[in-house]
Amino acid sequence: MKKSDNFSRRRFIQAGGAVLAGGAVGATPATATAAESGDSAQPAAPALHKLLRKAAIPAARGARAVVVGGGWSGLTMAKYLKRFNPGFDVILIDRQSAFVSFPVSNAWLADQVTLEFLSHSFFEAANNHGYLFMQATVLGFDRETRRVYTERGYVEYDYLVLAPGIEYDYSRIGVDDTVAQNLLFHRYPGGFVTSSELLTIKQKIHRFNGGTFVLTVPNGDYRCSAAPYERACMVAAVFKRRRIRAKVLLLDMNSEITIKKAGFTRAFEQLYGDFIQYLPSSEISSVDIEGRNIATEFDEYPFDDAIIYPPVRASSLLEEAGIDNPLDPQKAANTDPFRYHLVDDERVYVTGDSRAQPFSKGGHTAHSEAQYVAEVIAAHARGFEVRWRSPQTMCFSAVDIEPLRAMSIITYYKFDKHSGLFAFDRTHLMDKWDTQGGQASLAWAEGMYRDMFYL
Amino acid sequence: MKITRNLCRGLVIAIAVICSPPAATAEPIRVVLEFVPDIDNGRRSFEICARCHLPEAWGNDDGTYPQLAGQHVNVLMKQLLDIRSGRRDNPTMQPFVQQRTIGGYQNLADVVAYISTLPMNPAHARGPWPPDSPEYLEGKRLYSQHCAGCHGAMGEGNNELSYPRLQGQHYEYMARQARLARDRLRQVAPSMTSLIVSLSVDDFDQALNYVSYLPLPAGDLAPDADWRNPDFQ
Repeated sequence: MKKSDNFSRRRFIQAGGAVLAGGAVGATPATATAAESGDSAQPAAPALHKLLRKAAIPAARGARAVVVGGGWSGLTMAKYLKRFNPGFDVILIDRQSAFVSFPVSNAWLADQVTLEFLSHSFFEAANNHGYLFMQATVLGFDRETRRVYTERGYVEYDYLVLAPGIEYDYSRIGVDDTVAQNLLFHRYPGGFVTSSELLTIKQKIHRFNGGTFVLTVPNGDYRCSAAPYERACMVAAVFKRRRIRAKVLLLDMNSEITIKKAGFTRAFEQLYGDFIQYLPSSEISSVDIEGRNIATEFDEYPFDDAIIYPPVRASSLLEEAGIDNPLDPQKAANTDPFRYHLVDDERVYVTGDSRAQPFSKGGHTAHSEAQYVAEVIAAHARGFEVRWRSPQTMCFSAVDIEPLRAMSIITYYKFDKHSGLFAFDRTHLMDKWDTQGGQASLAWAEGMYRDMFYL
Repeated sequence: MKITRNLCRGLVIAIAVICSPPAATAEPIRVVLEFVPDIDNGRRSFEICARCHLPEAWGNDDGTYPQLAGQHVNVLMKQLLDIRSGRRDNPTMQPFVQQRTIGGYQNLADVVAYISTLPMNPAHARGPWPPDSPEYLEGKRLYSQHCAGCHGAMGEGNNELSYPRLQGQHYEYMARQARLARDRLRQVAPSMTSLIVSLSVDDFDQALNYVSYLPLPAGDLAPDADWRNPDFQ
């Protein structure tokens, strides 16, 4: 007993320090390295005893499943864990007090849905689905004692599901200094991690007085592959409606539009010819925050305002816990590709956008995947296995407003035994954007919210 | 090879049960409405379904989506109305089948008529026990005794009585639905509820395994599994 307390205290100081320096679960930008964190943990030491007591929650009734991260994966996971195994005592932990949907938020930027449509209560979800929500920041976890540490104390688990999502990796656009990373994050947020970013972006585009407005598309396996292109359309639609002389400069780090290319190209040309300038193969090498200038290897792009979406990586919670795959540049966890648990621990699972598998990152993928993984965990607790099934990626993209017009794609994955890799399976693209697509995109979002929060 | 579609000339029946919430003691009022389907309009409305169900409406062998092609119109209509009203719990599909998204009863009738004309997946997913295995034979016995009376000896179902056609349905889908019904997560007809109480999970799996091997009329099938719906090419 004593021994494990000491053990967890030591581990905690190591893991917690890094988080205190950098932020929280899914902290943005990527947190400081372990070497830096040792020093910065010192001033917080007096408060540590608070963190090492048991959290004030009811005693577990049944095997406890703790879900870290209340995004699309975690919310779906918590609901379906309880549904597939009503004996589970399920706790969902998220550092935010309310949920704001990132899917469909681009349509909100252009006033096509309300903030109320996107906003939902974690309490509501927990009450409706029979689990407990705990608003807290996860600082680390100890797999030996099976404890998750938060600033509100620790929680013991029988199963731990980590769905902490992504962080921005500014080092991949040449911004290495952590202070500069934070400044860049606050001034020109990418809009893919925290809701304050979204609110800031909406202010930016509705107050813009004209000139050059830069948007960037990251490379690598980034969250919501179509969203940066969709956002360019929505920003341009707002500028068009406001009749301002503005140019949307879309700097794509990829060599071409990564998804729904024909549909987006048609929208750029037919709807926003006077507004959007699309520049592929724009590998960003540095950003001058004060001077408002983005540099690529060959060119410089001065801007008046910007939304800078850098490449992403898995939450540093995984790296700090030492469960990441060191060969993965995006620092995802080292997990079983079909069952999602750590290769050496069937009690700890990693899902959602910090997963190791190369499935398209986004809400729908996370939602369909979490239903399957919840079934895997429920079955594990009862001593049997369920057959692997592919997540699906459903992705709507709005391109025009008043009325809302959108296109969609749905795709499945298969495991190719020959190459040992996952590949796309059946895909159905409907890239003729129209009002039916716009209606369908809202019906889709509504259905997802119903599932995660209400029914 | 030419595909002959069974052009649906019949009527699609929508049954709406109207309950006004305050009068809890009042008997529900049953309104039977009949619609002559317009298949062309159904094809247009089906675009909204195809975004998820795909243009062939063949479902997935892992059971996440059912095969809808070839299903009886009245069965499809009953499911649509149950999902629309919330009687059948399907939160993600529910908004798609509301008036504001897919339209009124006529549009629903049109879309189910269109779906019922689609050729079926010739390679639907079968159960784990091949013909003549002990589990298959036990499933055959159970099916004849408990299921064939309503769903038909060949799993052909009954359009008039809204009994689903089971032949050609993915095994995993049927097994999953049976489990949902057992766990009271899906409402089913009273006769099915009593069957779920009297038969075990294994009994159900074996009976459904047998159904999944029942042959389909060749005229109902697409020529091969690579067939793609020309209406969406």
